[in-house]
Amino acid sequence: MTLLVAFTASLSGGQDHSGHNMGDMNMGPGSKIAWRMVPMTATMPMAPDMMDDVPNVAPFLPGYGMDVSMFAEAKPSEIIDLAHGDTLRMDASLVRRTIGGKEYVMMAYGGMYPGPLLRADRGSKVVVEFTNNIEMPTTVHWHGLRLDNAFDGVPGVTQDPILTGETFTYELIFPDEGMFWYHPHMREDVQQDLGLYGNMLVDPTTKGFYGPANREVPLILDDILIDDNGLLPFGESGPTHALMGRFGNVLMVNGITDYKLQVDKGDVVRFYLTNVANTRSFNVTFGGAKIKIVASDVSKYEREQFVPSVVISPAERYIVDVLFDETRDYQISNSIQAIDHYRGVFVPEVHALGRVSVSSKPSNPSFVTDYSVLRTNADTIADIDRFRKDFGREPDHKLRLTLKVHGLPMPTVRMMEIDTLYVPPMEWNDTMPMMNWLSSHDQVDWILKDEETGKENMDIQWQWKVGDVVKIRIFNDPKTFHPMNHPFHVHGQRFLVTSMDGVANTNLVWKDTAIVPVGATMDILVDVTNPGTWMAHCHIAEHLHSGMMLGFTVSK
Amino acid sequence: MLRSCYLLLAVCILSTAGWASSPPNSGAECVSPTFRSDYYQIKLVGTNKVRGARMAKGMTGVTFAQSPFGVALSESGTYVVNLELAMQNVTLDEGMSLVAWVSTPQIDQIRVIGRFDSQFKVAGSTDWNKFLVVITLEPKDTPLGATWTGPIVARGMSRSGLMHTLAGHGPYETEPCAVYGY
Repeated sequence: MTLLVAFTASLSGGQDHSGHNMGDMNMGPGSKIAWRMVPMTATMPMAPDMMDDVPNVAPFLPGYGMDVSMFAEAKPSEIIDLAHGDTLRMDASLVRRTIGGKEYVMMAYGGMYPGPLLRADRGSKVVVEFTNNIEMPTTVHWHGLRLDNAFDGVPGVTQDPILTGETFTYELIFPDEGMFWYHPHMREDVQQDLGLYGNMLVDPTTKGFYGPANREVPLILDDILIDDNGLLPFGESGPTHALMGRFGNVLMVNGITDYKLQVDKGDVVRFYLTNVANTRSFNVTFGGAKIKIVASDVSKYEREQFVPSVVISPAERYIVDVLFDETRDYQISNSIQAIDHYRGVFVPEVHALGRVSVSSKPSNPSFVTDYSVLRTNADTIADIDRFRKDFGREPDHKLRLTLKVHGLPMPTVRMMEIDTLYVPPMEWNDTMPMMNWLSSHDQVDWILKDEETGKENMDIQWQWKVGDVVKIRIFNDPKTFHPMNHPFHVHGQRFLVTSMDGVANTNLVWKDTAIVPVGATMDILVDVTNPGTWMAHCHIAEHLHSGMMLGFTVSK
Repeated sequence: MLRSCYLLLAVCILSTAGWASSPPNSGAECVSPTFRSDYYQIKLVGTNKVRGARMAKGMTGVTFAQSPFGVALSESGTYVVNLELAMQNVTLDEGMSLVAWVSTPQIDQIRVIGRFDSQFKVAGSTDWNKFLVVITLEPKDTPLGATWTGPIVARGMSRSGLMHTLAGHGPYETEPCAVYGY
């Protein structure tokens, strides 16, 4: 089987972003950075009295004003096979990237986009000597790994920030099979958005763990916010886009805008999907090809099943087997129902993410017969069995997801007051680019509220013990100033989503991140196995930096 | 629903304190408030025109269909939701039945959900983002066609139906239209 990570980049635009472009504003090399209006389509509503408004934080863009040619050009991601005991030296640095025909100063792990794919066997242990060569403090979080707490990469909790030029040594262990990823845990809204992300593929050590496939292909989904003058600045002291998160207007797969893959007729391709976008959720389709869901963040599903699309929120991963049984091109798309609040309608949108070209050459070997079988995973079922007695009991903790705002522009407040009759379960597009851009981290407090104690965010410090099974009921309050879906991530442990709105989940899988739609009540069951001081948070980067995180300590 | 549950709870508490004159079992079940949101539930409002159902009312519970992703979507990105309908205050004539339908807001596409059972409950699903629920009176033994033939007993609208053009009533007015009760 071949794991494909080399891609051909070429140039194409993303979504239309010309409608309200305000033109050049001091963006030449060496000039002082200034805000310019966020790109938005011409149909988007904009209050006249907001036209001249800018965020209340200073603009900031790493590498701004520097000659882009002085940076090394980033190269496509490569696989780094790691054996037990290996040591990898990797850095984060500023690089030159080309997107849509233009060059940008961005960031990269190991000089690659995405960062190198680290591949290791389950049960192995490796060392990563990481050096920070970007001009911001950073850390590396190894998302989904149940590793030693000291190496979780959370500043102020498990380690100090790694300053520019400093090195930190991480020890990684891989107790679970599947696709994981690594990213900064400082100013993710900037660093991750500019390219600091990479995958870790943990191979099973038992044969036949997954069904057979002809190829394995990682697909890292992302978006980035660009106008004719380049990357939109970020907030210097903290994020802009605090209400909805920073949606990009250029969509990318593996860091490029026109991903291509060549396969043979009848090939079963195992795609490993990871969503690294700051806030965008995707509904991925494969041009009518049949999709079988196999696994998610930390395990296989109890049962494989065919699905019409892959719904993936920030930080989630899904493993799907896709059958390409016709000689033709299949378009990989993000197929959504966007909302146009001005007209009050859903608008179907299909964003091209890439293309799979199927040759007339027959697949060899052919796994079409195996593909038609939906496997029941006895190992996953057995692993979950001991938790079933806890599914129906009362929760140990109840969290309410809400927010407070203060000091937002008055037009934003008025508009939000009017637009309260319907909020969708999920936000698939930036329905209010101007208002969203103008909301900064110090005007919006996203809140995880412990219903029992009344404590909020990092004032919550739950105390658990290894061996505990902790049930958390998460309610995403729809009657707040701005309800929104939240991908809830728990560090260092794994959990099951046992029910949604009181309806039992009939096909379970171990997760580390799960989406909580607006208005939903989601029950999760945390398998507490890993001692240390951890956090849980919303994985929308701008929500995290607007406070939406809590702490918990697991004692031995 | 949650709000009405709180009201019911308040009534129950007042009842036990002797503040209310109605007996405890006057038809309203006293249910403790749950943690569950009622946000997407659909109120079924009677048309007051159909004999035996002039006081008819009901509710449609809306939940995501089973999905390995938690949020159930179709290939085009519409939500796939399960609908659990319950009607009350209906007395059916012999040979008649209540039938639930779901339609687009333009009523240019209609799908049958099914006949209500003897408990006046029925369940189905839809993958439309904006839709109407229509409850009609139909002959019990006649096969259901592509659309209803009998009178409409009640109807309801998906929560998304409340999403309407801001241009229609002034996005910069200070009065949210919610004050008008919808």
